Amino acid sequence: MSQVLHPIEHKIIKTLKQTPNITHEELAKNAQLTIDQVRRGLEWLKYKNLIDVNESEVFFARLDKNGKESVEKGLPERRLVNYLSKHPVCTFESARTAILESEFNAAISNARQNGWIEITKSQNTNIISLKDDTTKSSEEELLSILVNKTLVSEIKNKTALESLKKRPDFILLESIKTSIINLTSEGLETASKQSESVGERKLTTEMLTTGKWKELSLAPIDVEAAAPEVFAARSHPLQDVINEVREIFVSLGFTEIYGNLTQSSFWNFDALFTPQDHPAREMQDTFYLKDTSTSKFATPGQIAKVSESHEKGWHYDWKISEAKRMVLRTHTTCVTIRHLAEKNPDEARIFSVGRVFRNEKVSYKHLVEFNQVEGVVSGKNVTLRDLMGLQREFYYKMGLKKVKFWPTFFPYTEPSLQSMVYNEKLDKWVELFGMGIFRPEVTRPLGITNPVLAWGGGIERIAMLKFALSDVRELYNNKLGWLRSVPKCP
Amino acid sequence: MPVVTLYFNRLQKLLGKRISQEKILSILPFIGLDIEEQTKDHISVEYSPNRPDYSTDYGIVSGLQGLLAIKTGMPKLKIKKGNYSIKVNPSVKKVRPFITSVVAKNGKLNDETIRQIIAMQEDLHNGIGRRRKKTSIGIHDLDKIKFPLSYTTVSKDHRFIPLTSSSEMSISEILKNTDVGTKYGNILEDSQKMPIVIDSGGNTISFPPIINSNLTTISKDTKNLLVEITSIDKNVAEDVLAVVSYTLQNAGFTIFSTNISGANNSTPILNPRKMTLDVDLVNKTLGLDLSPSIIVSSLRKSRLDAKPKGNKIICEVPKYRTDIFGSMDLVEEVALGYGIQNLEPTIPQSQSGGEKNKITKALDSLSAIMVGLGYFEAINFGLVSKEVQYDLTKRDSSKMISAADSKSQGHTILRDGILPGLIDTLSKNIHETYPQKIFETGVVFSKASNEIKEEIHLACVCAYNDVSFSEVKSVLQSVFKVGFGLHCTTQMTYLPMFSEGRTANIVINNKTVGVIGDISPEVIDNFKLRIPISGFEVKLTGLIFD
Repeated sequence: MSQVLHPIEHKIIKTLKQTPNITHEELAKNAQLTIDQVRRGLEWLKYKNLIDVNESEVFFARLDKNGKESVEKGLPERRLVNYLSKHPVCTFESARTAILESEFNAAISNARQNGWIEITKSQNTNIISLKDDTTKSSEEELLSILVNKTLVSEIKNKTALESLKKRPDFILLESIKTSIINLTSEGLETASKQSESVGERKLTTEMLTTGKWKELSLAPIDVEAAAPEVFAARSHPLQDVINEVREIFVSLGFTEIYGNLTQSSFWNFDALFTPQDHPAREMQDTFYLKDTSTSKFATPGQIAKVSESHEKGWHYDWKISEAKRMVLRTHTTCVTIRHLAEKNPDEARIFSVGRVFRNEKVSYKHLVEFNQVEGVVSGKNVTLRDLMGLQREFYYKMGLKKVKFWPTFFPYTEPSLQSMVYNEKLDKWVELFGMGIFRPEVTRPLGITNPVLAWGGGIERIAMLKFALSDVRELYNNKLGWLRSVPKCP
Repeated sequence: MPVVTLYFNRLQKLLGKRISQEKILSILPFIGLDIEEQTKDHISVEYSPNRPDYSTDYGIVSGLQGLLAIKTGMPKLKIKKGNYSIKVNPSVKKVRPFITSVVAKNGKLNDETIRQIIAMQEDLHNGIGRRRKKTSIGIHDLDKIKFPLSYTTVSKDHRFIPLTSSSEMSISEILKNTDVGTKYGNILEDSQKMPIVIDSGGNTISFPPIINSNLTTISKDTKNLLVEITSIDKNVAEDVLAVVSYTLQNAGFTIFSTNISGANNSTPILNPRKMTLDVDLVNKTLGLDLSPSIIVSSLRKSRLDAKPKGNKIICEVPKYRTDIFGSMDLVEEVALGYGIQNLEPTIPQSQSGGEKNKITKALDSLSAIMVGLGYFEAINFGLVSKEVQYDLTKRDSSKMISAADSKSQGHTILRDGILPGLIDTLSKNIHETYPQKIFETGVVFSKASNEIKEEIHLACVCAYNDVSFSEVKSVLQSVFKVGFGLHCTTQMTYLPMFSEGRTANIVINNKTVGVIGDISPEVIDNFKLRIPISGFEVKLTGLIFD
């Protein structure tokens, strides 16, 4: 693990290197940090195994009653000396008047030990005489220090301390539990490598404009640390599939057309030779729109010819009122056929992608609304084999290399085929787009003379295969968890 | 799509030649059947309703025999002259004007044959029969019937013992108290006269299209059958009769004619029809160069008769092939007989380059800009719930557009704006990290004097603790400036979905094109959201495309 340190950590390590074995308070003072900064920094460093924190007991010494009194009045031996300075030679008896009896012996003994006095005997009487040197004793010095509470360990003259301790009520000793902080061997190593300057946390505009940056260095950061997650915004995965399909169509020379989602039944059904009593036209399958109508949905010529085609082919009375009913389109074919009927091009390669609707109960397999793509090729000489070839090319570009064709039935194409593609992931053949050549009953009434190849199918199915979904609803529930995580290019 | 169950042992017997199971399975798709389910002894296949002759295993076997070249050409329907007759009373004209019929004799029924026949009857009722409205079929034990029969009408008080019942019921009771009565009674609408088939002994044989009489119930012991088909369309009735007759003939019955007369009814003629097919049309459509004799043999494999005549093929199409309208249908029969797997795909050369539509292209650009601004694209439905679109969002529902009879509760009306759906989307993501920024483009619907108008909108929402009106306004300005060089301004307005004093119209080129604001706390609370939301919605149609 690389040891990239925060400036607080730097200061702590630097301080501990200079003064090991100190408390939080001492550390804060020495490192010029607040106690909170120290606590935080120590936590980080402990985690990085750079410091040791030892709980231990510390002793303090301070003055007790008699000690305090001595500071004011002086120690008994000092008071004796002060008396002697006025009476340089005197007897024990006269000296006793100056000092309490209880203190007298100690005063005599200590003053003699300090070398301040000399005692001589003359005629059964002890004579005290003052000597020249009466400088402060080590006890006196200690007393003045102990006016403030002092760490025992910091007291240098231990003899003086012991001596004072022997005197009654002079010294109080107190113990405090405390944490003592020290660098570990790893910490010491880090400290020795540490450059004097921690460096700047951030490069600022100010540093750059003033040129201050030239004198500064940037602090290293933990480049291996985890960064917070951000989510790259994206287009919807289903839209990505739609766009991929559009790109492929364009690359195959197709032009995209756009049409309304609401359509008259005429274009959705009648123009596609779906008889008016066909089950697909029932409300159980198709969404009809309430209280809506359409006035100019087709030309009188188109209406007359479509009507005739139905009556001839299906033997029933075709009703314009039925053709006028507005539906949500059930396929995109209504858009392509209308385009062909209106433009009547000699040659055409067009495609359309968009929503289609089915009145179904929503389930993991079915949606009421989904996307369909449809491609159409028209030309004098286009054939069923061309239709198959275009399919194969389309799938190839989608990455689906194995394709086969089966016959099927669609009401408005003849011949009709369905394509099966081999899915590697599922290891099976999957039904994809349906295709066929528009029936003459569809094209003739609309004045379309060339054969029209058409194919199409649902996009969701492709998207589900691509994103390995088993429930089609997942494509539409806009779960951010999914949108933020699903790969753009799976 | 209707489904037929095929038992392998029965298939083997009917095919008349030992064919391996794998071979059968591999060839079924090439006569247009999708295998739905497969077990050890049987498979279920889906057939398309335009091939009612595939509604039994007899019909499917006939198709397989063609492709396997066991039997080719058109199966002949042999109808012997029968001594049976039905007289039609003109009173049926207003309620169910047509009846047609054959008699099938000397057959052997077993459980599976009966099951196949009943399944066929149901499929024909639901498909061509349009849930019995157009056509319904009655199959009876011939030996219980005294000819001639009468197809006439009676009052609703008429009584007989209906199928599966042990006691007499009146027609009123049948319509009211039986499943079939309530299900199909509406076909007879409000007519007081009820159609009925009665024999010369006065026994009720059938009450079409509702139910047969109990008297003529068929069983394994039944040897001879009467088929009667009533209809509102004579052609369709005869098409259905052809399918049934052909199936019964395949099941081993001999078919006899029934003489029908009265009220524009007549004895059915189930003859094949002659059609001419142009060899050039076949080759031009399929992209092949087939000789007339290959075309003929292909058609025969599709169980049609065909003879070359110069550059034309004269085809004979059996009556039961109701799906064959014209030449193109015959071209498909050639393709199927030739074998779809034998068609090698080709690629036509493109004359010109393709291009995207200008609307979708503009939407692509818009999407890229929104994504660049940190917004995720959402895709919601156009068909939405009233609750989200209007109630929870406090929007005006007076011009609501409804879809009739939706099967899904959440999809009943067309959206007239995108924002409600986006707020709903936020409500489904309350456990995801904020900020949440979402946009959507799509069609919205409106109505003017009953005509529907479709327009494309862009909407976005931004949700997190520090979101503000000005943040989304910045997005709005940026989108239109970067995307289309358009300058937007905002003008104070009031809409219940937004907070008062924090709602504005979006104005571009002096036209109000949308709305922007902070979503009202009440609306946020309605969606059980606990986060501030700002957003906007802009009408793109008329602004960046027409």
